[in-house]
Amino acid sequence: MTAQVELDPVIHAQARLKVTTALATLPSGDRLSFPRLQQLLEMTAGNLSTHLRKLEDAGYVAVTKTHQGRTPATYVELTPSGRRAFDDYVAALRQLLTTLPEEAP
Amino acid sequence: MTEKPMTQDDDARPLAAADRLALIEEQHARVASALDVDERLLYSVWGLAWLIGFAGLYATAGSDPLIDLPHEGAVGALLALLVAAAVLTAVHIARATRGLRGVSSVTGAMYGWTWMLAFAALPVLIASAERLGVSDEALDMLWTTLPGLLVGVLYMVGGALWQDRFQFGLGVWILASTSLGSLAGLPGVYLVLSLAGGGGMLAAAAWFAVRRRRGAAR
Repeated sequence: MTAQVELDPVIHAQARLKVTTALATLPSGDRLSFPRLQQLLEMTAGNLSTHLRKLEDAGYVAVTKTHQGRTPATYVELTPSGRRAFDDYVAALRQLLTTLPEEAP
Repeated sequence: MTEKPMTQDDDARPLAAADRLALIEEQHARVASALDVDERLLYSVWGLAWLIGFAGLYATAGSDPLIDLPHEGAVGALLALLVAAAVLTAVHIARATRGLRGVSSVTGAMYGWTWMLAFAALPVLIASAERLGVSDEALDMLWTTLPGLLVGVLYMVGGALWQDRFQFGLGVWILASTSLGSLAGLPGVYLVLSLAGGGGMLAAAAWFAVRRRRGAAR
């Protein structure tokens, strides 16, 4: 059997993998508004909120609530540990691919 | 068997490692291209504005112009082209970076203001020279070469900010074209700015197009 490769369960869910990937694409130190993130991911606001909360609970995502004039604005960014978790996740996937031989048809 | 409740996302569907990596790459590319400022578009627009605008100045200048059209019309056309390019640039950058905050957007905003304020200061300086009784030819030379100086220097600064050697090199090229072109006097400098300046930017657009295609086919 293959050596056990740990895949981070927080990121593993497909929707959260998309969210994390999108945020990891930003340069470190940058954050994205909730509506723009929602538009890029093509997710409903409720769905995105749910996944962001789970990522926030894990300490992978930081959510900043601010005001632009009178309208409240929410910005989302990956924390340093979130970025590390994403890099580790991608590295683990690569390792899975190289250690697993091609599956027999 | 129990019926699985439908969820909004497809979390329940297991994905193989290869599919996950593909998903990550696709998502990354999608977001990167949505947030990306497209150099091909910007260099094409500015390159065309310079190429056509300065060619118009060259062709209508002097007592025996190549094209018998009013020189003032060509000046107006150049200004209109430059304003159109500036508006297009501002709209494109604002769209691409919408909703983006943080380190890079502060850098970008300051850089954008640098362009705007530099070009706002320019007419003031030239008007001051005019008040001192500078000849019309000298004014034409200032109007032609000072913007070239600013563009060259600002491209070099942009190259320094984003560690972009190509943009830095283009700045050097524009700076060299403008300063050496000024030695050709009027109207020769117009032709230099049209071909070397505008042509240089169009070459830059082409280079970025090739680089992107190569990156996509990687």
